Amino acid sequence: MISVVFYTLVVVLGILSMGFQMLASRLLSPHYGSSIVEWVWLISTFLAAFSTGSLLGGWISNRPPAQRGLLQGIAATLGVASLAVTAFWQKPMLDWIELKFIPDVAQMNDQGSGGMNAAVFLSCMALFFVPVTTLSSFGPQCVGWLAARGTPPGKASGVVYAVSTFGNIAGVMMTVFVLIPNFRVSHLLDVWLGVALVSLTGLICILRSAPKPAAK
Amino acid sequence: MKLPRLLASLLCAAPLLPAAETTAPKSDAAPPAAALAGDSTETYDTLYNHLTVERHGTLVELRARSRRGVFLESAVDLADPLNLQVAYTRTLFAAAYFQSKPARVLMLGLGGAGFHRLFAASYPAAVLQTVELDPKVFELCQTALGFQPTARTPVTLVDGRMFVKRDPATYDWIILDAFRGGYVPPHLKTEEFYRECAARLTDQGVFVSNLDDETALYFSDVRTIQAVFAQVVLFYPEKGNVIAFAVKYQTPVITDPAKWPAEASLNPRFKGKLDLAEVRAQHVPVPEAQVRTAAVLTDDFAPVEFLNVIKANNAEEKP
Repeated sequence: MISVVFYTLVVVLGILSMGFQMLASRLLSPHYGSSIVEWVWLISTFLAAFSTGSLLGGWISNRPPAQRGLLQGIAATLGVASLAVTAFWQKPMLDWIELKFIPDVAQMNDQGSGGMNAAVFLSCMALFFVPVTTLSSFGPQCVGWLAARGTPPGKASGVVYAVSTFGNIAGVMMTVFVLIPNFRVSHLLDVWLGVALVSLTGLICILRSAPKPAAK
Repeated sequence: MKLPRLLASLLCAAPLLPAAETTAPKSDAAPPAAALAGDSTETYDTLYNHLTVERHGTLVELRARSRRGVFLESAVDLADPLNLQVAYTRTLFAAAYFQSKPARVLMLGLGGAGFHRLFAASYPAAVLQTVELDPKVFELCQTALGFQPTARTPVTLVDGRMFVKRDPATYDWIILDAFRGGYVPPHLKTEEFYRECAARLTDQGVFVSNLDDETALYFSDVRTIQAVFAQVVLFYPEKGNVIAFAVKYQTPVITDPAKWPAEASLNPRFKGKLDLAEVRAQHVPVPEAQVRTAAVLTDDFAPVEFLNVIKANNAEEKP
């Protein structure tokens, strides 16, 4: 039973991560248009967050149990808090960044001037980097949890990566073909926040559970 | 330490990209002789479009591919550029019924600049500011379609919404014709964007939008324009195009064609180049039943891509 819940939560984290990227593009386009330049910064930010989160999660998973539990709690709190910032304050933040870096027409052009690049980059970092980094940090910890329960490390890594990527695909498809056509983006961000709160709480409970005793 | 240095280098290099470009005014030049000869087809992949330039004698067509096919963006007869080849570009001049003396006009979307040449000839004292996102479109306009911007027809290469938000000028006509193939980006379809346009219109100004009437998006487009502007009038020049004209004021009423000024009183320079009586006959009523139930598009809810694939269900009574 715990395995079913565990894998479900890994899928949910995958959905949250990549579905969030689709929502992010909708948040940016009223401010910066919907050009390939905007996508460059958006995709790069998410990949940087995946990379940083993996490094962070790998480090956390090797901490002593007491310290690991504390760090998991901090990561989850940071993830939920940063998602709340995105959900509730994205509009004033984007308005401020946009006008600060691109105050007039002379600061823009089609492929992005320095001001345009800086504005999109800063917007992506401020709104999307921390939530995705913290969500990604749980991937290596899930691998560690499986390995501690007797799954060979290579297999544990492969399974978690595969299940998480399945969640990524489901997140993109569901967000683009079902959610965005039917719901307001602001409401979807509220849902993302609620689901992240519940799923990270559940995952931390599982990760803190005692490993199965080794077979004799 | 290598990674931070690499990131720092990339960030430092970003400002070196070219700044916004507003074209330097040049003299009105004749199209190059080479462009007048022979039939040919050229294709270009740009940052934003897949473009095709087709030459048939002196007729040059600019087409853009989208997921729904290849769309004719513009066509110019280089031997007679004031003779507008695309029906809806003639319909855009119906704005004169509602604001007959435009001093400043903003056009979002350059296309092949067919409209521009007749406008410049018809309103010699007016300024037509154009905003175009794709630099290749602007380049082809000059090299293949014979358009040369002047001090009265400047072109700025930026996103239309970003321009409208920052440009402090007001305009008598604002024309939204920013298609990428058969598709307008969602951020140029929302109530918030139309409010930004309305803020840039003079009190008696007219907002003009080229709409695709073949999908359910059309009804949401009209509903969204109605959410911002007090009066909306529609013209149906040809299958696939409806031109919406909208104003901020309640009176005088513009929805009754009988109260529009006579064509002869509008602009004598149209004579021989544009038949506004033909354009007047394109007036159609707003499809109230479908529009009433359509969603208003906002920055928060703009399923443009999805409405754009649902066939409009009023094909029999169109528009």
